[in-house]
Amino acid sequence: MKIEMFHLCPYRDLPEDFREQHHSVWVDVPRHLFDGEIANRTYNQTLDELKYAAEVGYDGICVNEHHQNAYGLMPSPNIMAAAMSRETEDVAIIVMGNSIALYDPPIRVAEEFAMLDCISGGRLVAGFPVGSAMDTAFGYGVNPATLREKYAEAEELILRAWEEDDVFAFDGKYTQLRYVNLWPRPLQKPRPPIWVPGAGSIETWNTCIEKGHLYAYLSYSGFKRGKQVMDGFWKVARAAGVDNPYHAGFLQLVCVADNEQELHDKYAAHTEYFFNKMLHIYPGFADPPGYRTIDTIRAGLMAQTTSFGRAGQEESTFDELRDAGNVVAGTPGQVADQLEQVINDLRIGHLMILNQFGSIPHDLAKENIRRTAQEVVPKLRHLWPEYEDHWWPQNAVVRDNIGATPE
Amino acid sequence: MNERAISVRNGRFEVDLLEGGSGDPLLFLHGVSGLEWTPLLERLSVGHTVIAPRTPGFGESTGTENLDDIHDLVIFYLDLLDQLGLHEIPSVGHSLGGMFAAELAATQPDRFSHVTLVSPFGLWDEANPVADLFSMALPDLARAMYANEKSEAAVAVATAPQARMTEVDPETETGQATIKYLVDRAKSMSTAAKYLWPIPNRGLAKRLHRVRQPGLVIWGECDGIVPPVYAEHFAAQMTNATVHIVPDAAHMVVDEQPQIVAGLIDSLLSR
Repeated sequence: MKIEMFHLCPYRDLPEDFREQHHSVWVDVPRHLFDGEIANRTYNQTLDELKYAAEVGYDGICVNEHHQNAYGLMPSPNIMAAAMSRETEDVAIIVMGNSIALYDPPIRVAEEFAMLDCISGGRLVAGFPVGSAMDTAFGYGVNPATLREKYAEAEELILRAWEEDDVFAFDGKYTQLRYVNLWPRPLQKPRPPIWVPGAGSIETWNTCIEKGHLYAYLSYSGFKRGKQVMDGFWKVARAAGVDNPYHAGFLQLVCVADNEQELHDKYAAHTEYFFNKMLHIYPGFADPPGYRTIDTIRAGLMAQTTSFGRAGQEESTFDELRDAGNVVAGTPGQVADQLEQVINDLRIGHLMILNQFGSIPHDLAKENIRRTAQEVVPKLRHLWPEYEDHWWPQNAVVRDNIGATPE
Repeated sequence: MNERAISVRNGRFEVDLLEGGSGDPLLFLHGVSGLEWTPLLERLSVGHTVIAPRTPGFGESTGTENLDDIHDLVIFYLDLLDQLGLHEIPSVGHSLGGMFAAELAATQPDRFSHVTLVSPFGLWDEANPVADLFSMALPDLARAMYANEKSEAAVAVATAPQARMTEVDPETETGQATIKYLVDRAKSMSTAAKYLWPIPNRGLAKRLHRVRQPGLVIWGECDGIVPPVYAEHFAAQMTNATVHIVPDAAHMVVDEQPQIVAGLIDSLLSR
């Protein structure tokens, strides 16, 4: 089992009445709420927290890409990953990822990922998300109806650019290049492992199985709803003879404290900030026509396959969010037990944990990172010993877990 | 009214065609909401043979995957008109269909005897932006489309199921009906998005001067989708068109005031 820490780099200082006063945290979030001094602090604290997660024992650190929003301040996660490639020694650098349909030409992603792989010494995971509707359709103006086709073409170009030995010409519908000749090239051969964050479409299941990419279900709807989606994935996977849990990953918000009182005191407000402010997304930006594929609609899976919007539709309390499985909170023992159940139920070999989310301040984030890494993660690493992880970067650490297996 | 499917370009497109009435042919191109045999078409079919194709991607009309942009769409429609043997005919286009009618008339001015554009898309005025119909909440959309938000049609728009908010059980009959509705809507709206996303400007302003037939630009006074100020923008570039703003109507003026719209078209065609 591999456990990674995921960071969204959220804006932690939205006003108390954000949800009541403003239309959306994404796309048209008022820019007067952005303060450069706060962002300076946020970026540096985020980088410190990522580095700290690597130091205290996580297997990897994850960053991702979002645009025009206060939910996640990393339009270019590659910049963060570059810093982390230098600041860390051995963890996997998981860029989760670059929305490859947004880059013209997409060869830019192939180049930057190759740079990151070379700088980090072969520790890069290349994430290829389709991207949320807010980021792609509204932030970057891509027609949602052609987004997936554009994505597929970009993926083909990037993989060929990494893997082919000779200069080639690429005559695509969206990209035409007379000379494709990547320089630099990835250090990992033939290329870094590819992880596909999915949520919006059941086609992603097929793609991941066919191409051998890792499927990462990133959702804030919690593990209870997540089960429905992962069951769908495994049904497709098993039909293709695939059952290795390392083929799949899941994201979970986690907070650890010594007792109920401490949990509430420390995390309730920050968790509510995440769900009630960070996910306060104008519904019209979450699901434009064509973003959801026809097959997903036909399967009746619309509500299940959206990571954004629905979770934040109604204001929720910390207790409600815990009950619904949106956040796993408890003592280290309780959290480990619950996560072990999630890991088994969803059959995932990679668990991506959010320890800093919402308005969790720097010191508390570090405490949560440390306690999770040291008191929870070692209790989970022994899972899936009979399977091999083919989705781990060639030169990233594989931590031994001596003494951590529960008796 | 007769409905039939017609095969275009060796079956690459199978297109529904609504035809009705008698007299000289008149081409009607429907808008984003799709095609039905409405009171307007019934009224126009008195004195004309109304020919109303359903654009690929809407309803059962296939082949939208063969159309990438407005240029492909124009060539498709010219193929269809060739196949139907339609020349020197009057055209009426509403909304998205108005944009198509303008593009077609600019591409082949001689094909069309008269051109009527009813609340067409196709131009962009930064000071008066066209509404982002793809992100609008359904009640807002209903208010933008209809002058009377309490009308049956407006209420139907405001209360339609929405994919992301709808829990559907595919095992039930109701679930299947909802899914069919959502699939149809996803298909037609993504088709519209090809020509309208993210800004409904595909360069028509560079071509509109070629629309020099006797023309009409009709707008609902309360259009909240494409503001009525665009009526003047269209007429200013068309060589021979007059503007009519219709009160108590919005984007769906074709349905809201069919008698007035039909009367205006009749007068144009008698010119």
